[in-house]
Amino acid sequence: MDATHPLADLVRAAREGDSSAWDAIVERFLPLVDAIARRHRLSEADGDDVSQTVWLRLVEHLDELREPAALPGWIRTTARNECLRVLAARGRVRLVDPQDDTGLGLDAVELDVADEELLAAERRQLLREALDELPAARRELLLLLLADPPVGYEAISERLGIPIGSIGPTRARALDQLRRTRALKGIGPELVGGDTR
Amino acid sequence: MSTWDEMTDDELLAALGEAVAERSAVSERRREAARSAYTWRSVDQELAELLHDSALDAGAAVRSSADVPRSISFGRSGLTLEIEVEGDSVLGEVVGEGAASDPTQPTTVTLLRPGGDERQVETDAAGFFRLPDIGPGPTRFIVERAGWTLTTPWVTL
Repeated sequence: MDATHPLADLVRAAREGDSSAWDAIVERFLPLVDAIARRHRLSEADGDDVSQTVWLRLVEHLDELREPAALPGWIRTTARNECLRVLAARGRVRLVDPQDDTGLGLDAVELDVADEELLAAERRQLLREALDELPAARRELLLLLLADPPVGYEAISERLGIPIGSIGPTRARALDQLRRTRALKGIGPELVGGDTR
Repeated sequence: MSTWDEMTDDELLAALGEAVAERSAVSERRREAARSAYTWRSVDQELAELLHDSALDAGAAVRSSADVPRSISFGRSGLTLEIEVEGDSVLGEVVGEGAASDPTQPTTVTLLRPGGDERQVETDAAGFFRLPDIGPGPTRFIVERAGWTLTTPWVTL
């Protein structure tokens, strides 16, 4: 199994002991956990610890997860809480009581800023999910167009076996399709339980 | 924040570029650690509940939390584990109720690390213990007393 499988399938298989399904879940959400740790300005070592704790907790939590669609939210909340706990335990942040404006120390992390940055991190997660929903050929085209160092149209045409003249229109169609994915339509990863809106 | 439909193709592709870059930025070390977490999977394992963590306590955090040791407590059916992290040492107390309350019963506390390292200590007659030289990192405790067991969820020390 890989990260492009529907989330509900991955969660079910991981519960049943399929470690490749677990690896795919890791592959899919590790960048989100990473981004959240980075936004909280954790040290590299603390980031490693928080990340590993989040995954260990998810292993414990797999069986209780009734709704696979709730997984992204669970990961986000757990990662965020773990970051705040580690920051507090290291004495680097004081959770500020709004009634008390004297609590803000020099090294306090601005949690309001982090909120906005977390939202941006979630949007990037949605974009990765959307990309994984696309058919392989479309996904590959977008990835080639984003490659660093850049790949020229000629090379793309050769790699994908499409004429240079159709790369532009295909790019436009792929991006349109990206906008219509479940991830970007806000429907969530996929529905479980027969709702076929 | 603009909706996806309001973004031009170029803007959407640029945003996608940032999202994909975040995926390639993941360190191999973190990926391996995340993958290996699965080896800890055990079906039907009943875990103790986290009762309190001073690192989540806003009142304590407003005072400088660096000066006050972090305290965490866990509980499950008759057994409670309270720990305090003081520098590199973990100090703790095991409290039992009912059938698990007899402090003369030998009680062991095991500290586990995800890599498989473990440290074990026996509590004194009053239920207290001390584990020196414990570095930061994900940690789980297992308490055993007279047939009773308490396994904690993972926490980052």
